[in-house]
This record gives sequence, structure tokens and C-alpha cells, in this order.
Amino acid sequence: MDTYSIIGKSIPHRDAIEKVKGAAVFTSDMKMSGMLYGKVLRSKLPHARILSIDVSKAERLKGVRAVLTSKDTPMIRYSISPTWADKLILVDKKIRYIGDEIAAVAAVDEETAEEALSLIKVELEEIPSVYDPLQAMQPGAPLVHEATAQNISKTLEMECGSVDDGFSMADVIVEDTFETQAQSHCSLETHCCIATCTATDDVRLWVGSQAPHPLRQRLSGALGIDPAKIHISTPYIGGGFGSKIDLEPAQAICVLLAKKTGKPVKIEHSRKEQFATTRMRHPTINTLKFGAKQNGTIVAKQADVVMDNGAYNSHGPAVLAYHNVMFSTLYRVDNIKYTGRLVYTNKNWGGACRGYGDPQTAFAQEVMMDMLARELNMDPVELRLKNANEPNEVTANAVKITSCGLKETLIQARDASDWVKKRTQKKKKNRGMGVASMIYTGGGSIGSGFNYSGATMQMNADGTLHMLMGAVDIGQGSNTILSQMAAEVMKVEPGTIRLTTADTDTTFPCMGTFGSRVTYCAGRAVVEAAEGLKQKLLEKAADMLEANLNDLEMDDRKVFVKGSPEKALSYAEIGAASFYKNKNPLVAHGYYNGPDVPPEFDPVTYKGYPSPALVFATHLAEVEVDPTSGKVEVLNFVAAHDVGKAINPMLVEGQIEGGAAQGIGWALMEGLQFENGEILNPNFHDYKMLTAKDIPKVKTLLIETIDPNGPFGAKGVGECAMVPTAPAIINAIYDAVGVRVKDLPATCEKIFMRLREKENAS
Amino acid sequence: MAKQRIHITINEEDHDLLVNPNITLLDFIRYELGLTGTKEGCDEGDCGACTVIMDGKVVTSCLVLAVEADGSRITTIEGVQTGKDLHPIQQAFVDSGAVQCGFCTPGMVLTTKALLDENPDPSEADIKHYLEGNLCRCTGYTKIVEAVHRVALALK
Repeated sequence: MDTYSIIGKSIPHRDAIEKVKGAAVFTSDMKMSGMLYGKVLRSKLPHARILSIDVSKAERLKGVRAVLTSKDTPMIRYSISPTWADKLILVDKKIRYIGDEIAAVAAVDEETAEEALSLIKVELEEIPSVYDPLQAMQPGAPLVHEATAQNISKTLEMECGSVDDGFSMADVIVEDTFETQAQSHCSLETHCCIATCTATDDVRLWVGSQAPHPLRQRLSGALGIDPAKIHISTPYIGGGFGSKIDLEPAQAICVLLAKKTGKPVKIEHSRKEQFATTRMRHPTINTLKFGAKQNGTIVAKQADVVMDNGAYNSHGPAVLAYHNVMFSTLYRVDNIKYTGRLVYTNKNWGGACRGYGDPQTAFAQEVMMDMLARELNMDPVELRLKNANEPNEVTANAVKITSCGLKETLIQARDASDWVKKRTQKKKKNRGMGVASMIYTGGGSIGSGFNYSGATMQMNADGTLHMLMGAVDIGQGSNTILSQMAAEVMKVEPGTIRLTTADTDTTFPCMGTFGSRVTYCAGRAVVEAAEGLKQKLLEKAADMLEANLNDLEMDDRKVFVKGSPEKALSYAEIGAASFYKNKNPLVAHGYYNGPDVPPEFDPVTYKGYPSPALVFATHLAEVEVDPTSGKVEVLNFVAAHDVGKAINPMLVEGQIEGGAAQGIGWALMEGLQFENGEILNPNFHDYKMLTAKDIPKVKTLLIETIDPNGPFGAKGVGECAMVPTAPAIINAIYDAVGVRVKDLPATCEKIFMRLREKENAS
Repeated sequence: MAKQRIHITINEEDHDLLVNPNITLLDFIRYELGLTGTKEGCDEGDCGACTVIMDGKVVTSCLVLAVEADGSRITTIEGVQTGKDLHPIQQAFVDSGAVQCGFCTPGMVLTTKALLDENPDPSEADIKHYLEGNLCRCTGYTKIVEAVHRVALALK
């Protein structure tokens, strides 16, 4: 077992002091001299043709500095990849959902900007809409995008082995359909950005972004601006959960307004805009069929999935592929068939949302596993153990697993929750327990062709260390744990390392904070940079001490020959000698972009999904259902996660506790309500997020499988923390009262009504 | 709209100012006084990010007009630390890992302060009841509740 001095220590977030003092500056806190305020005119109709737009009155309003329509944009469609590009910054001919951007203004204050919006005259011709993805695929349904037949943006078909053969061997077959609802990210800070444009047309953007380097590329593409003219910085970011990865139209609009006016322009979403017009978790309809032998071995599984894309692609095509990968990779099953369709509707668009399709797939698959266990009269934990993935296996869909702690998560969650005892003794009325497991990536993926993170470590002339890295801390604590990694290598206190992060001019690029990739990918880059700097430091010290490099030791910012700490050289002395005397400053770079893409990788289905490391988890819930109200109380909650190595256990726990809360919310109450394409609950009093009062104490169990390729053995944890939560709770509700909820969320009303239906039937 | 004169004490500092009658206390604090530690999360009184203490009680400053605060004493997050060291509540939030993105943190700290000023020995239920009006999406509240327990114990 390796012994570390800093890795594995629960030290506080390095920015926590600034935050508790109210001193951390978020984009919304920034104000610049001469700053204008931008506002966006959005469609109030779900589907319409634009006949005319008259901005003349708005332009004449005192205090208005610029008005934009699509004519002021290059009208280049964008998406997460050119293949799926379907969204204009400002729409030209057609509106596709309530919220589509029609025009924008910049004015001296917000009130004037609002007034200007009301003066823009838009003539629309409403056309029939379609909101239900199943109806959208029917012949004759209105087309959201004319060129997309049946509104099917992407079809995904994959078969590994033969499910027909598999099902013919099965002793038991279960089939059912599971539906999941739209969830909103609800980061406490809404989207906000400030853009400036210099006299030489250089664009500067301050923005709460999870991925500033890709954002620079995307802005460049959508606006036809040379990327060399764009500089993006990220002030403190008030949470993201996937909502701040994409290019948001308002960001591009902000840049255009700054270019047009020559003044700084700020656009900040209201909470309503945040709910109604930024991305959301894709709703899904999942029809599953599982076949198993009497001993529990699953011999075939298949899924037929319809994913509601909303009006535009955003991440949709990749989210569907992830839905397949996570469905197909979890458990050792030889025969798998997956059919998925991503379907446009006239609703707000789906996008990346914590788990990236995996919570949807896990809900369907893990409730089905519970039903299968009951059919087989088998303990649901045993059924999962029987089919669990193992380390170093290659799955039927050609995914290579390195470290794998799935079985340990099952066993430890079971033991920590008294599962066996509570299930065997006489059950308390209306109480029940449920279990669910999951797989996710713990290091992003190179499926898109990229999975890069870069870092630079430099030692200044005074011996101080400065780390520059592209990775973004959106609150999860990456700045803290990446400092810990560098500090471990350089034998310094992590807080003494100066940090510059997530700035497209000064740091090596990083793909961004998503896919639970920062700990792994940025961690690999940081460790490589730190190791490189350490090597240079030791070489220089060996030269100065006239000693063999292999005989040197580092401690307390000094280098010395083993056994002779009294003749030590301080980092300051070595730094100064390198900088002034040798004219060769100490600096090293680190970079990760992996793993290699295997030849069997299929970019449509993601068969052969190239993830550097996969993570596994098991959540186990104990609930009590009040039959008089249908209210579900989560009494106990255990979350066991294979994290590779916990670089900072307190921060890892924070990720898991937060993820579980988001998962419990999705399971029991959260959901965007639509009526004729309009979101009825775009605020926190109608869209119910859990409060401190609703949350059980989450018992987290960290399983350290030490991934062979992860930095210090670590793997990511952020997104997966909410993946198996909902099915664990839904399975517990069934165990408690015999009501099987197959359509999320399991609201009080739904449980109450189904209990009544059950009573009436019996 | 004619401006109105208000006298208001914020973080022990007196202000005598003319304000628009329609400006909220939140906007007044953030934009007129430049105290941006108080956050706007929803502008509808739902999320608690804009919490300040007004005459000893927590209020969501987005639902109070600046003119309604005339004559009152207000503590914002910038006024919590009075000496060289962090206030024990702030320190407990740091040490417990109760801070992630930090956007809800000022409101959480102020609500905790109001709670402990009123009830120095709160039960778990008291803590959760008091914090119910402050939303957090990152932490799942577990470590926030732990931080409140920790500071209550330390202040005993």
C-alpha cells in the first residue's frame, strides 16, 4: 500500500474561505464601466413561421444601443458537433419551441432593455405542433425540422450476440415499459456572461462555463470569428450539473451585442429563463425485456428506447449513445439488443444533465432487475452479484473494464444497511428496502475524438510553485484535489501552490468539467506536469550538490542527499539558480488525451466505448410510505461507490451526498410540467427541489479499487452519484407497499392513487 | 419616480441615501452598496440565496423594498466576520466541507447565524426547519447540517 502525505486527506475546499466570506466573485457580481444590459426576445408560441420582424420602434427608444435579429448573425447552425448542427443563435424563418430566440437588445439598463423588447413587433403564423415523441414519429405529424423525416434525429441499433438465441435459453422472461421525466439542473447561479470587444475586434467573454475551451471553438464556429480573437475566462461558477457545457445562444448574442456597440454587455438569465430555455434532462420511454436462467444468470436483454429530444439536438445524439452504453455494459450478458430513437418535439431541448442518459437507463434497467429477482424468487443483491462485471473484462459490447468494484459496492452496501436481517425478520408495515447499481465513466471518453486536459507546473525564481490548468472548478472541488495531487509530487502544502485555471489565453486546453472526467484526465495531466517539474528540479539540485540524482530526497521545500538534510538546498535557491544563473526557468507540461480509440469503436452506437476507466456504485434505500397521503419518507440511504482512490474523502462524500439528493428529488418530486409546449413550473415554488428537511442522512461508503491508470488510482465520481438513486427508492417503495412505479416521479398523489387502485382491485 | 431618503445601518455602518422606491433591498445592497456577497438565485423569495438578517430576523432581501428597510439594522455576509478570524459559523462551514459552488453559502451562513442567535442549542429538527428556506443543489445538505451541529457544539 502506498503511503501518501496529502493524497487521501480530507482538507477543505481551497476556495471555501472566500466563499463563506461572500468575497468570491461570480460573473453576475461583475460590473464594468459603461456596461450595457442585454435581453433576449423569445417566442411565446411553440411552432410558428416568422413572417416579419420590425425593430424600428425598439431602436428609437432612448437608451437602446443595439438591436439584433438573425440578419445580424452569420446564420451558422451549431450543436455539439457539426454532424448534428441544427440551432441558430437567432432564428430566421421558424420557431420550434416556446423560448426560441427571435431578437435581442442592449440598453443602458435592464428596464430599458425590457421595454425595448416589448416594442419589437413580430408577425407569426402559428403551425401545428407536436409534443409527444411517439406521436411525433407517426406519419403526417408536424415536422419540427422539415428535413428530418418522422422527427427522428438519430436512430441507434445495436445487437451483440443474438437475443433470439438468448431468450430461447431463458427460464424466465420479464418485459415492461418505464418512463422518465424532464429534470432541470437547478444550479443556484443562473447563466450569466459579460462580453467586451476591443477596437481591434478582440472578443473577451467572462462566463460561468463548464467547458471554456470548447466554448471558444463553438463561439468561433457559430459566429464565424477567428478563435485567435476570442478569450474566455471563468469567474467563480455557481454550479452546473451539465447545464453550462453547451454554447448557450445568449452567450453568442452577448458577443454580437458587444461587437455592435463597442461596450461591455452583460446578459443574465432570470430563473424563469433558466428553467424554460436552458437544457433539461431528456425524458425517455424505455421498453425492456430480460431473460434469465433459473439460477439468475441473465442470458439476454433488450431495450427499445424513445428519447424526447425537444426542439434541438444539443447533446442529444451523444446522450442516446450513452444511454445505450450504460445499459449494455452493466452486468455480464452475452446477448444484448438495443434500439434507440431520438425524436424532435416542439418543447424545450434536452441536453447534458448529470449522468448523461445514465439515470434514465439505470431507472429502467434496475427496476427491471428488481422485477426479475422477484420472478426468480432471488435476493436482488444476489441477482446483481451473480451477473456483476469483473475487473479486466471485455463486455459483449466490446467495452474494456480496468478496475471494477461493483461486487464490493453491493456487498458493502448490503452489510452497512442490515439488508439481510431486515429482509428476513418480520417486516414493519409500510416499510421497505430497495437496491440498485450502476456503471458510468470515471474519466470521460474519447468517443468524440477528444478527451484532453492540459496542465503546466512552473517554479518561480523564489521557489514558489504555480500551476496553470484548463480544468474548471464549478464547485465540485477540482482545484483542491488537483492541488493535492501536485503537492504530493512536489512535497509541499497544497495551499501554497498558486493556481491559474480555466482561462483560454493562459492555460493549456481542457475539454471541460463533465463526464466525471476532471479527476482522471486533468489529474493525469497535473501529475505528469508535476513529475516533469520534479525531475527538472532534482536534475538541477543534483548538479548544484554534485550528487547522484537517485540519491536525492525532497522535503519541506528542500532537496538534499539522503541522510544529509543539513546540506539541503531550498526550492528558492534552486529556483533562483535556474532562473537567473542558468537562464533556464523550471517549467514542465502535462497532457492527457486518451485512451486510444479501439478499432471496434462505433461512433453511432458507441459499441467499443472508449472510456479510460469505468466506475460502479450501489445505492440502497429504506423507505416508509404513509398510505393515507402517499408520502414516501427515505429513512436510511447507503451509497457505496467504487472511486478508484479518494484523493480527498470529504470532497468525494460531498459529491455523493449531493448526487443522492438530486436523485431522490428526481425519484419523488422533480419534473418539468408541460402544457401545449409551455413549461408550467419555471420557478422554485412550483418545481420542487428537496430542502434540508427532506433529506435523509446519506451513508457513503468509498470503495478504493485503485485503478491501474488513474492518477494515484483515482477515478471520477461527480455524475454517477445520482445514477442509481431513483431505482433504489422505487424498488424500496414496491417492497414497502407493493406499488410498482414505472413512470417517474413517484409523487405522493401517484402513490396514493395506486394504493387505492390496488385496494379496489383486491 | 421621485427618490426617497432612507436611513439604514448595514454591517454597523450607517447609510443615509436617496433610493428609487421600487428598488429591492437585494438590488440596493448589491448594486448601490456593492456588497455582492448577497446573491440572487431566483428573485422570487424561493431559494434563500439573498438572505440577510434584518433587525434580528432572516429575510429574503429580494422580497423587501429598500424603502421598507428604512430605519433597520441589517447584517449581510460581509458583516458576519467581525474580528481577524472567521466567525465560528464560517469556520465550521469550511471545515465540514459544507461549501461547494458557494452560491447558496452566504444565505446559509446568515440563516445559521439567526438560528443560533435565537436558539444556541438546536436539535437536528430545529436546524432542518430553519434551513428549509435555503436551497442548495450541490451538497445534499448533509454537510451543511453537520456544520451547524459542529458550531453549536463549539459555541456551548
